Amino acid sequence: MGWAWLILLLATYPWLLGADLASDTLASSSLVFFISGTCLIAPCRRLKRWQAILFAACLGFLFEARRPIPDGALALSLVAASIFLSSNRQLLRNTPGMLWAAAIVNMGACLIWFVASLYVSPASSGDLIGHLLVQLLLAGVVGSVALVPIALTQNATLDRLSIPPAPDTP
Amino acid sequence: MDQNRQGARASYIALSIFVALWILVPSAVRRFNREAFVEFQAPALHLVGKSRDMATFWEKKSRSVEEMTAAGRDLARINAALEIKINALEDIRRENVRLREITRYNVPAEYMSVVARVATRDSSSWWQRIVIRKGRNDGIRPGAPVVFGNTVVGRVTAVHLTTSEVDLVTSPGFRCTAYLEGDDQNHIVLVNGVASNSLGTAKARVSVIPRDYSMPAGQPARVFTTGMGGVFPSRLVIGYLDGGTYATQVGSFKESLLIPSRDLYNLQEVSVLVPLHQNPGEALMQGDQFQ
Repeated sequence: MGWAWLILLLATYPWLLGADLASDTLASSSLVFFISGTCLIAPCRRLKRWQAILFAACLGFLFEARRPIPDGALALSLVAASIFLSSNRQLLRNTPGMLWAAAIVNMGACLIWFVASLYVSPASSGDLIGHLLVQLLLAGVVGSVALVPIALTQNATLDRLSIPPAPDTP
Repeated sequence: MDQNRQGARASYIALSIFVALWILVPSAVRRFNREAFVEFQAPALHLVGKSRDMATFWEKKSRSVEEMTAAGRDLARINAALEIKINALEDIRRENVRLREITRYNVPAEYMSVVARVATRDSSSWWQRIVIRKGRNDGIRPGAPVVFGNTVVGRVTAVHLTTSEVDLVTSPGFRCTAYLEGDDQNHIVLVNGVASNSLGTAKARVSVIPRDYSMPAGQPARVFTTGMGGVFPSRLVIGYLDGGTYATQVGSFKESLLIPSRDLYNLQEVSVLVPLHQNPGEALMQGDQFQ
């Protein structure tokens, strides 16, 4: 089904909105509840590669839209991650593999938007390394913890759309 | 398997070409793309904000009669105090009008006040922002100052159809000039947001403080807008100097941190002061509204 990626994006959006609300509550600590990387894992197992790419790009653009991040920095990084994941589906065969992938992709994407923001904002601060580490830690933990419920939602949506489990070779 | 590898390689090549095109494409295309994704999210943000208001409404509606009576009594007392204050302000206004007539003072640029509810807050090292539920449809323009009472909250950085993004005073992108309380010579200082550290209170920095400036004793020095540059009206409170001042590395001036005068993350409602006439700063913002 050609539009599966878009329907899946709409099904995933409540999670992204929830993450925005969680970021709202964390606003005083300057931490962002980031889950865009995690949302990418389950779809990369079942969607066709081009669908996963579109899905990843939209995830990235949704995060970037309301934040001063250089256009496309996160979206294109997530696209690269989606190409890698959809080409190496054997890495996502079991739950531990998916958890590792969620943590790594989420932390990697978090690192990318953090550094990209540094490029846009001329401000500097001495303790940014510390903040980066805390933000990455949060992204890793949230990425792992949120994977299962997000993947359940996404898989249920894909089942409703009659998308078969993807073969090992796309 | 080979087919998979070939497909992956082709995808990477296509991605590389797209990245190159993306860099070369006119910024208007990228802006349109960003705007489209913002507008996609806008209804959800409105819904969240309204749900929050609804929850507050029902929470208040569930209070007991005794509680409401006590709250009404407290409110009546506050109203009485405010009425006295309004009378005092009315006297000041009349005197102001009289003095203006005497000196034939040029009335500064007028602003249109647009009250907006806060939809969501978003904060990181690199941005401290709020999203408000008013946008281009309500007459808001980029660069407009955002205040609460007589205190500065921030400045509108991006305007969409029904929502706007506001850079808070503590955001690294925020800059304005200011006067310090207790400085009789009215030296101009610079206020700019500072990239904040995790789990710490967001603050701004006040720089170019003259070496001979001494803070008023017994109270934190307030920082006021100058009214120069045409963005903020003059004499709005930006915040307070945090503790003491310290010399810069060069040593010609001093610096200090600034604590915003309100808890910026607990605001529910703000006022956007939209200038009736476009100012030069606003014109610059329109060309660069996402930075």
